[in-house]
Order: sequence, then structure tokens, then C-alpha cells
Amino acid sequence: MMIPVRCFTCGTVIGEHYEEFEARASEGDEDPAEVLDDLGITRHCCRRMMVSHTDLVDVVAPYQ
Amino acid sequence: MSGEFDVQIIERDDRQARFVVRGLTPALANGFRRAMIADVPTFAIDSVRFTENSSVMFDEMIGLRLGLVPLTTPLDEFEIGDTVTVALDVEGPATAYSGDIESSDELVQPADENIPIVELKEGHSLEFEADAVLDTGKEHAKQQGGVAVGFRHLQSVTVGDDIGEFDEQEPEILRGAIETDEGEVVLTKEFDHDLTNKYPGTELTVEDVPGAYVFHVETDGSFDVAELVLRAAESLGDRADELHDAVTA
Repeated sequence: MMIPVRCFTCGTVIGEHYEEFEARASEGDEDPAEVLDDLGITRHCCRRMMVSHTDLVDVVAPYQ
Repeated sequence: MSGEFDVQIIERDDRQARFVVRGLTPALANGFRRAMIADVPTFAIDSVRFTENSSVMFDEMIGLRLGLVPLTTPLDEFEIGDTVTVALDVEGPATAYSGDIESSDELVQPADENIPIVELKEGHSLEFEADAVLDTGKEHAKQQGGVAVGFRHLQSVTVGDDIGEFDEQEPEILRGAIETDEGEVVLTKEFDHDLTNKYPGTELTVEDVPGAYVFHVETDGSFDVAELVLRAAESLGDRADELHDAVTA
């Protein structure tokens, strides 16, 4: 639904970088790998949290 | 075992550090790692009283997310079990961020301000009051101050003869930090983790240095790395003293 606050595996706080990642990599045209490096998300456990996440708030909001 | 440890810091900033400790046994190194994870207390939100929650997430889901938000923890001012009340009141359409959490104590604040708690649509609102409790990682993983704390043997490289002119050189991948031929400790990222980039065309022998460990420590932002490491060392010392007193009394 929302991006998890921390990485499931190592516990690093990753939630705070998600919006910037979305803006630069998904909506912008930067290379996702470079954006993640730039944000300091270097481990593959943390990177998969960002890359594989889908926001579902907009999908479920009409059924509240 | 000698009583002296030699500590050499390789890289260090507020939230992460890498350092070499010499004169450790594997058991002591692991004890130290575990002390950093489980023995240094941090503040984390523990119980939440919701006044209003008309967001798309259940109270429990928001409670879980709040618990994971790191809070700054000045350990000199507080004891285990102390609580600090925090509150949040956001009305949609807006996103409730960790930075919107207001604390009753200015020393205890969210360490990161941009963590989205929940996205609120038109007509949604979120209002609650919560208690942050100071406790150790032993009690709950959300109270761990150290994240991704680990250590590995320090490895040293010995450069041998040149390899044959037409021989293929196998990559030699290493992680963390290594000790070079000259006895200098360097980070492996300086040569893209492949030793053959640093010493091309030579035979290389990599060996563990006895009793030397490279620690990599990160904190969640509750305090800086130095505080975490010193508190962990102190807790190990305190427990050793406790055992000593119990045995000799």
C-alpha cells in the first residue's frame, strides 16, 4: 500500500527516499540504478524494496 | 589474551563507519556486534491512541509504521523505560510524514522527516497521540539502534611474482577493507572490489590476519555511530564486571 518504512532484511530506513526515487527514476528519465546509488541505497536488499514497490493507495481509496 | 585493543578507523560519518580492531577473538568480536544490535536502547513509538483515522490503512498498520520511525535518542538524558508523548494531526488531501509528528520533548524528534506514514485523500484525516518508549533491541527489533552491523576478518594481500605474459588472470573479488602489501588498510571500493585492478599481472595471495576484524556499523539515525559503538563497549564491560562480582562475591 505505502512504501515500507524500513528494509525488510537489514532494517535501514528507506521510506524517506521513495518519493524522490519515484520522481527521478519512474517519472523522470534518470537511470534507476544511478538514482539509488545517489540516494545512498547501496545494498541489494534495500534496492529491491524501492524497485519492486507499487503504491496502492489510489487503487483502494474509492472503496473507503 | 592481551588487554589492549588497537582500533583504526577507515571511514566514518554520522550514520555509518568502518573500522579495524586488532587483538580480538572471534567470540569477543561477535559479542561486540550483538551488543551494538541488542544492548543499546533507542526510543520507538510503542502504543498509539487514535482519535481519528479515516485513512485507507487500519490503525494497526499505521501503528506498525510509526514504531519503525527512528527517533533521536540522547542517552545521557533518559533511562530505559522512560516515555515521551508524541502527537500527529493531518487532514487530507495531504501525506502524513514523520516530520509532522510533534514531540513533547525537543530532544526526542523523528530522525528522518520525509518518511511517508500514510497518504490521505480528500476527506480523510489522521489524528493520534502516542507514547515513545526507551528500550533495547532485545525487547523489540524496532528499538535497535544499529542496523546492518557486521564484521569480517581483515585480509592481507601478498604480491608475488609476475604472471606469464599470455596467462589469463582470474578476478580476485574482496569486500570491505584489506591490508595491502605495505601494511596499509584500504577500502576495496577504491579498486572496484577486484584486487587484480590494483595489482594487474602479478600473483596474489590473500590471507586472514589473525585477531583483526573489520567492523561495518550503521545506525538508524537515533544517535551517531560513535555513541552506538561506545555504548555497546560499555555494556559489554558492565556485564563482564557483573559476572566478575557474582563469581568473586
